[in-house]
Amino acid sequence: MNQEHTGNDVLLEVHNISLSFGGVTAIEDVSFDIRTGEIRAIIGPNGAGKSSMLNVINGFYHPQQGSITYKGETRPQMKPHHAASHGIARTFQNIALFKGMSTLDNIMTGRNTVMTKNIIWQALYFGPALKEEREHREFVEHIIDFLEIQAIRKTPVGRLPYGMQKRVELGRALAAEPDLLLLDEPMAGMNVEEKEDMCRFVLDVNEEFGTTIALIEHDMGVVMDISDRVVVLDYGKKIADGTPDEVRANQDVVDAYLGVSHG
Amino acid sequence: MFYREAGQFKSSYNADQAILPIAQDRVFVIGVLAVAFAGVPWFIDSYWVNAIFLPFLAYALAALGLNLLTGYCGQVSLGTGGFMAVGAFATFKLITAFPELNLIIVVLLSGAVTAAVGVMFGLPSLRIKGFYLAVATLAAQFFLVWLFNKVGWFLNYSPTGQITMPSVEVFGVLVTGPRATPAARYLFCLSFVALFALAAKNIVRGRVGRSWMAIRDMDIAAELIGIRPLAAKLSAFAVSSFYIGMAGSLYFGVWLGSAEPIEAFGIEQSFLVLFMIIIGGLGSVLGSFLGAAFMTLMPIVLKNFMVDGLAVEVVTAKHVEITLMGVLIIFFLIVEPHGLARMWQILKEKLRLWPFPY
Ligand SMILES: Nc1ncnc2c1ncn2[C@@H]1O[C@H](COP(=O)(O)OP(=O)(O)OP(=O)(O)O)[C@@H](O)[C@H]1O
Ligand SMILES: [Mg+2]
Repeated sequence: MNQEHTGNDVLLEVHNISLSFGGVTAIEDVSFDIRTGEIRAIIGPNGAGKSSMLNVINGFYHPQQGSITYKGETRPQMKPHHAASHGIARTFQNIALFKGMSTLDNIMTGRNTVMTKNIIWQALYFGPALKEEREHREFVEHIIDFLEIQAIRKTPVGRLPYGMQKRVELGRALAAEPDLLLLDEPMAGMNVEEKEDMCRFVLDVNEEFGTTIALIEHDMGVVMDISDRVVVLDYGKKIADGTPDEVRANQDVVDAYLGVSHG
Repeated sequence: MFYREAGQFKSSYNADQAILPIAQDRVFVIGVLAVAFAGVPWFIDSYWVNAIFLPFLAYALAALGLNLLTGYCGQVSLGTGGFMAVGAFATFKLITAFPELNLIIVVLLSGAVTAAVGVMFGLPSLRIKGFYLAVATLAAQFFLVWLFNKVGWFLNYSPTGQITMPSVEVFGVLVTGPRATPAARYLFCLSFVALFALAAKNIVRGRVGRSWMAIRDMDIAAELIGIRPLAAKLSAFAVSSFYIGMAGSLYFGVWLGSAEPIEAFGIEQSFLVLFMIIIGGLGSVLGSFLGAAFMTLMPIVLKNFMVDGLAVEVVTAKHVEITLMGVLIIFFLIVEPHGLARMWQILKEKLRLWPFPY
């Protein structure tokens, strides 16, 4: 894993992406890049196309136009399985955990793509399968410690409070050892304390593991604090792109947030 | 009984990952196995084996199979009877074509044949879900039974339309046919069920089991984190059908001895096994056994109680049985979708804190 902020290597680049659903245009001709090791925020008013953008990046939505360059390879669209097995992991705006499974099992599913032993070994639960299970379990326990969720290890996630579920979902994404982590509003609906914890986790993941992060967030304080660069979408178009300070000073951004000049 | 999880701390992941992390559970299961293998064979007679033990074991294996598919992977199937028929007919064809083949191999091969058929009928699950999938598997049920009934080759052109299991020895002991002893038939089935219950438990707590449950709980999220729906669903159909095929093989070969396709493998079988896992507990290995035990024992207990005890007419008793079953299904679907297994777990949690509930 990359341990340093190189700052200039581009990990992912989207070129002229346009996406529409029937008559509704969700994204219109948007291009930006994400550099290795940075925290990249995507902001914008409701319905601006932020979540759709993440869905394009990990292959859930297929754009009508444009292309995506990831790790130097350009393709017109990503496939979910390809994205997952090549280091893109994500969390969802509406938590998408496996409700019937425990915290531990949920996070273990994050390691599915790197586990290989076949079903016969598993049925015997012996030799290679046991060894594999133990190794991955150990890895997952590190994540559990890191996120401070030891106490809920065996709890079915459906019974956890909202803030905890968000944390488990982050754990599941981290379990895949992603190179690029996509977080869709990881702090939405949290109280101040929970938000602070989550901010700390995001920063730690970025610093300790060198994971590149793309993050959607509505809380401007958080965005300005933790992100290296910010891209702003409004009505599916990119209206600004730069450091937090540059973006904050941008008149279009101020207008978009105040709801003027949508002519 | 002191039943406590508290205070048993695990110092290694190995210990924590053990199949039954709680000591009392381990003792309980070992006790049940000891009684089942070493105790029951001593007193078992042909009434007990035919009325209770063999149906219980065959249905437990079928319920386990269906539970892997429906309870763990979330794919509803009404084709259980048809898949049991595949297992039974595979056994019949194999044993009559190759009388020298070891019956253990025959049962395993019957499972494998059923797995292949199951995967074929599981293909629609990649496109359709829930109710529509249930209807597709229902079609499999009717098609398979119709096929076995219609095509003489499957029946070895038997004039009665029945298939009959020949007497077969395993390691010098007769396990099928009228001259096999109750204990031998029982132990043969029990060994399969015990072994494959263990295998099922192992599968569901590993990678494959987690990918099934992920598909069950939220298939889109599962796909986005890199679980292939195709592999997960089809492996669930394959493993499930493998179990159900072996169950059909034991059901016909060891329990019934002879069978007529429509009667033995009709849609009632599909529903019966489905009810077993609903009552026993969806997504629970233990639940499959509890459900099978419950559905095998309930009619017998009810009949003994009402007909012999209260002198109620047999027909009335049958009606009461069916009504009671309906009520129970509705109760479990609404109140406790995790069935008897979950009730058992709640009881354990209560006992864990007993006598101080705080
Ligand atoms: N699957 C879909 N089908 C149809 N329309 C969609 C779909 N997904 C998104 N859209 C539309 O695309 C537009 C952008 O939605 P998107 O969810 O990307 O916005 P967002 O910026 O994430 O908003 P929010 O801040 O509310 O999460 C909206 O008009 C939305 O209705
Ligand atoms: Mg959104």
